[in-house]
Amino acid sequence: MDQQMKILIVDDELVVRESLYHWFSRQGYHTRSAKNGKDALGKLENENFDILFVDMKMPGMSGFELLEVVKTRYLDTAVVIITAYGSIDTAVQAMKIGASDYLLKPFKPDQLSLIMEKISQQMKFTTEYRYLKGQLDKICRFDNIIGESDPMKKIYQMIEEVAKTDAPVLILGETGTGKELVAKAIHVKSSRNNLPFVPLNCGAFPDSLLESELFGYHKGAFTGASHNRKGFFEVVSGGTLFLDEIGEISQKMQVGLLRVLQEKKITRLGDTREIDVDFRLLSATRQNLESKIMEGQFRSDFFYRINIISIEIPPLRERKEDIALLAYHFLDKYSQETTKKIDTLDRKTLEYLRQYPWPGNVRELENAIERAVVLSKSRTLTLEDFNFLKPNYPPSSHGMTLTLKEVEKQYIDTILQDNQWNISRSADILGISRATLHRMINRFHMEKP
Amino acid sequence: MSHGFCLGILPVGEIEPLYLKIIAGSFLGELRTKSLILPPLPHPNYAFDKRRLQYNAGTMINELETHAFKGCSKVIALVEEDLFIPVFSFVLGEARMGGTTALVSLYRLQKNPTRAAKVALHEFGHLMNINHCHEKKCVMKFSKDIEQLDSISSIFCNYCLDQIRYAMKQKR
Repeated sequence: MDQQMKILIVDDELVVRESLYHWFSRQGYHTRSAKNGKDALGKLENENFDILFVDMKMPGMSGFELLEVVKTRYLDTAVVIITAYGSIDTAVQAMKIGASDYLLKPFKPDQLSLIMEKISQQMKFTTEYRYLKGQLDKICRFDNIIGESDPMKKIYQMIEEVAKTDAPVLILGETGTGKELVAKAIHVKSSRNNLPFVPLNCGAFPDSLLESELFGYHKGAFTGASHNRKGFFEVVSGGTLFLDEIGEISQKMQVGLLRVLQEKKITRLGDTREIDVDFRLLSATRQNLESKIMEGQFRSDFFYRINIISIEIPPLRERKEDIALLAYHFLDKYSQETTKKIDTLDRKTLEYLRQYPWPGNVRELENAIERAVVLSKSRTLTLEDFNFLKPNYPPSSHGMTLTLKEVEKQYIDTILQDNQWNISRSADILGISRATLHRMINRFHMEKP
Repeated sequence: MSHGFCLGILPVGEIEPLYLKIIAGSFLGELRTKSLILPPLPHPNYAFDKRRLQYNAGTMINELETHAFKGCSKVIALVEEDLFIPVFSFVLGEARMGGTTALVSLYRLQKNPTRAAKVALHEFGHLMNINHCHEKKCVMKFSKDIEQLDSISSIFCNYCLDQIRYAMKQKR
């Protein structure tokens, strides 16, 4: 039992209040009492109670009326009705409008213990349920997709529109752009949102395994098929099936999937019976399927079937205005997770992150912030915390045209910052003399921060 | 250990002397507390509830607490009758947290003085402001009936014992 629970006893009879008060106090519960409904409501306004023990018959506001008010205003508070022997009908009625339990006076002390145990369990389950639901909502929330740039706003609008339909959607985008998040958002916004969302990465399975995963199999269909197993088409049962990396599947599989999409029927491997299936298909790829069709590697009929509607997610470098927003979002997320008090990124770092090409897109940015948060020792993330990004992906303005001078200036600036403006060391790395480096610093009007 | 602390054991109505001696022995053994067996009080007719045919424990405690028992820091009163408090169908014993007098009913104990001693120690714990305990064997664990009473021991767990000793020091 949870002794932290707060109990309010509401009864017009002093002896009853006292008896219960003493019993609960002896159990170690935080207990208060009220002499009528009005008094109870006053106490409820000032203090949170987990359980109310309410006498049914009270002058003024009856226990029944109090129960109705409590169940409207304080949804989390459990109410146990106390009633005299012979008024079971009222107790049953009270249960119907939300009382957690009832006690017939006089009762055995162990009945109270049982009720407390039962309510404590219920509360524990409710808390756990809320926590898990919160976690699930976090995973599936539409607002998990972050971005206020125009291309992202268009995507939000598209999601809203396509969610209303049942048409297959092909989500296009480079790796790490958040294709699965968009798919989840479509599912959450759709009428199938109370049914499963089943993601499957086609690229992760060899052809034969993918077939058995999707279609399921009958006992004895192949070596090791020791029992009947449902495939994802059946598991999804009315929900949304998300096939990621659809460009990776073989032509043979494409034919099989095309048939399922057209007929909405499947046959398990090793079985002859057809099973009706109902699902919405969302698929995603980072490949250019049209050129794969030209090369004869992807079937055009299958492509047109899965590409009724397409959503293209722009790479992060094409929506630079979202980088700061995303960076702060991840900073907040990981500083909370690691319980480190890191609240900001300095201006230069933010600018650096904005200019970085992010070939791994949002996923790469998230990983970079996570790593920086974990390793940082100060409250502000600085360029030093992102040193690891440089060797593989030197900052360049991908997609922008830079002059040789601009590239030269940017590179010198990076080296100087990396070496805390140590001129000798920077000149060494750049392969020039200290005097030349000084001249270049002057020429480019660079200043030590 | 508890020099200066004296427990009064009070028969209310006719009580077999064996119960009084065993309870006194239990307190001496468990808490090194000396006890004083008080002269009996008359049968508690004033607490009889005609509707329930039981004796109201609250009424009895109110009445007993009006008496001054010289030299006794706390009093355990024993009664042969079946006790109740308004919300419960019966109680084996009753005490108010921090009160001066606790009640032990022998009615449902089936003539077993060891059970009476357990109830007396338990109610004494309440008089010393100790809550119910969750230790399986501790005498402060709540027992709904004699089966549960039999499953607990006649001693306090270390935690409850420390609290009681501390409270008794303050009472001296």
